[in-house]
Formats: sequence, structure tokens, C-alpha cells
Amino acid sequence: MERRKFLSMTLGALALAAVPASVRAEDFRKTKPTVWTAHTVEDGIKNLYGSTTLIESGVKLKAAGESFDSGKKAVASSGGAIPVDFSTEIPAKSIAVFQDANPESAVCVYTVSKYSVNDYSIKIKMGKPGTITVVVEGLDGKLYAAKQTLDVALGGCEG
Amino acid sequence: MGIKVKAKLKNGVVKVKCMAKHEMSTYNQMKKKTGNSDDANFITYLTATVNGEKVFELSTSQFLSKNPIFKFQFQGIGAKGDKVLMTWTDRKGNSDKGKGKIK
Repeated sequence: MERRKFLSMTLGALALAAVPASVRAEDFRKTKPTVWTAHTVEDGIKNLYGSTTLIESGVKLKAAGESFDSGKKAVASSGGAIPVDFSTEIPAKSIAVFQDANPESAVCVYTVSKYSVNDYSIKIKMGKPGTITVVVEGLDGKLYAAKQTLDVALGGCEG
Repeated sequence: MGIKVKAKLKNGVVKVKCMAKHEMSTYNQMKKKTGNSDDANFITYLTATVNGEKVFELSTSQFLSKNPIFKFQFQGIGAKGDKVLMTWTDRKGNSDKGKGKIK
């Protein structure tokens, strides 16, 4: 009996995991409205994923041309359009970008599809120096992250 | 308004670069400009489809740059000549689309 129960539970979990990514598509602004009003990165991550336990590995991040693992602080000449590149090899469900320089912390959330190659570039605004955090939600349910701190010579949110 | 889309197929991976024309104004900017932070308007949702399948989906905030540029990649779908269709929706409910042929 126990074994049967276990089996059916496992099968159920497998069936859930096997749902194609295109079916799981969602607009995070509608499904998780509190993510976008959170003021700190920690609250943003918590409102999105329900946890703030981050594993700092498996994610590559480059902000304003400076890689996260170079040990150097990146410097953006203008805060109006800071190039941010990130990628991961981890099988992912979603990827989120946060920063701590603006009034709210969330920048964007990607829904990963079965076709996605997780290598992205965006340009973001930052009002003052701060830290960019990229969080990858793995299919294993764990959160992987990379952080890069940068200086902003000219703020991008006020001008 | 509109989205410019460039897509290139190489070694089985389609690399897309696109630019959405949008002011992307923040609450703070509009409060300074018009006195009403509710005038802020920015793209909140962006998708790309190829042959009816979603290959890219992004929920966004006001902190993307003005006329934001996005680069993303996908594989397993899309041949040369297929179209990448993109749409965005902004905070005020406007939407726009653009497309690009995979080269």
C-alpha cells in the first residue's frame, strides 16, 4: 500500500514536471503583482519565489562590460542605459533581474521556454550606484544567482 | 512605436536582437515632469513567437532603458525565412508589434 502510494505520488510529480514550458507561460506582473512594488531586492525575490536562499554559482553576469567574477567594480558612465548580459547552463524555469539603486527592485522576469537558450542582454536604468542581482529559478526548485556591483557616474532615473 | 527585430540562425541557434520604441518613463520622472507619478508609462510585457510557438516571454518594469534593446536566443524551432513575431504591452494598455525574418 505504502509503495503504491509512493509510486502514484512520484508519477504525479513527474506529470507536473512534464508539462511543456509553453503551457506554463505567464505574465509575472499579473500573477505576482507584489514583486514589482517591493523596495528591496530581498523582498522582490521573496515575493517572486517565496524564498531568499540563493546559491551563488552557475550564473554568469556582466554589467557595464565588467564580469561578476573579475572582483572589480563596474563603472557605468551613464545610468540611463547600462548594458547587462547574463547566461546560465542550469535547466531553468524562470530568470529574474533585480537591482538595489532604484525605488523598486524588480527589473524584469523571463519565462524560460523549451526553446530558450538562456543567454540574454538588456539595458537598464539605475539612479545611483548599486548592485545588480540575477536570479535563476532552476527546474530543481533551487535559486541560483550572480551579483555585480557598479558605480554610476550619472544617474539615469531623474534626468 | 514599433519593434525592430533582427534574427540570425547560426549553428542551430537563432540569435535575436530587437529594439522596442518606447519612452519607458518611471514614476519619479513623471512626478517631476507632470506632478503625477501615475503618468508613468513603460512596457510591462513582451513576447516573441515563431510558427505559433512562444520562444521568448518577459515581464518588465520601468527600469529598462528608454527604447530598450533585448537580445535573446532560441533553438529547436525556426528555419531561415521564418518570421519572429514580437509584441509588447505597456502600463497604459497600449500594444504594438514587429517582426523580422530569420536570416
